[in-house]
Amino acid sequence: MTKEPKLTKYLPLTEATFYIMMALVEPMHGYAIMQQVEEVSMGRVKIGPGTLYGAFSTLEKERLIEMISEENRRKIYLLTDKGKQVLALQAERVKIMNQYAQQIVQKI
Amino acid sequence: MKETTRKLKWFWAWQDEQEESWLHSMSQEGLHLVKPGFAGFYEFEQGPPVNYFYRLDYVYPKKDEQHYYQIFSDAGWEHIGTMGGWQYFRKEAQPGETPEIYTDPQSKIEKYSRLMLFLIILNPVYWFVLVISRENSTNWWFGCLFIFYLGLMLLFVIAIVKLAQRIKELKASL
Repeated sequence: MTKEPKLTKYLPLTEATFYIMMALVEPMHGYAIMQQVEEVSMGRVKIGPGTLYGAFSTLEKERLIEMISEENRRKIYLLTDKGKQVLALQAERVKIMNQYAQQIVQKI
Repeated sequence: MKETTRKLKWFWAWQDEQEESWLHSMSQEGLHLVKPGFAGFYEFEQGPPVNYFYRLDYVYPKKDEQHYYQIFSDAGWEHIGTMGGWQYFRKEAQPGETPEIYTDPQSKIEKYSRLMLFLIILNPVYWFVLVISRENSTNWWFGCLFIFYLGLMLLFVIAIVKLAQRIKELKASL
């Protein structure tokens, strides 16, 4: 019995959630995540504070992330093992889509 | 000592974007929100025009309050006040840019869903009082109360419908 069928219920992740989870492969706090996401997406994906806080609440409730420490009223989060598995599943889907897209785009 | 001005303006629960626009236009005239008041009373301070954008969040952070406000503060948003679950924030923008606290439709949908849920939960309270009122409807006083609560019920239903429409529009843009 694999865990995979259960975890796919979290997919597909929204673009914002995907980027936030990717940032949390390392321990990070709110604003640092916002900056990182904007940087790695070359300015295209911006995460607003309302969106970020909502994502934290949901991801924490689903135990995909956990708070590992707190400094100066900033909570530092990190992906849980479950979160890492979900992220890996989504990344795999994106990879397959991307490979297919590369083929098609060449024909257009 | 900065002069304060009071204004009275009513916005329904589903008119948060209109409220945000109105506060923005006030700031462009040099009136900056100091305190959102109960029942439509706003307190402003006078000063030079500033390109502030106002955004309203709907959330009850409770014990997580400090963390919640810190995220906004780090992102350059100043917290002005709270009214029920409504959190008032402002940020000065460069010409041409429009700052947002919600940057994707999904999280915006969650905000309106929270508000809608709150209104739905509150609704039964009025049903209860309504039923109580009806029992004594022979008395003119209870008759008035009945009509008043009927009006409030209608208002809640309208609010819930409007919010459902907003959520539907946002879902269509996903």
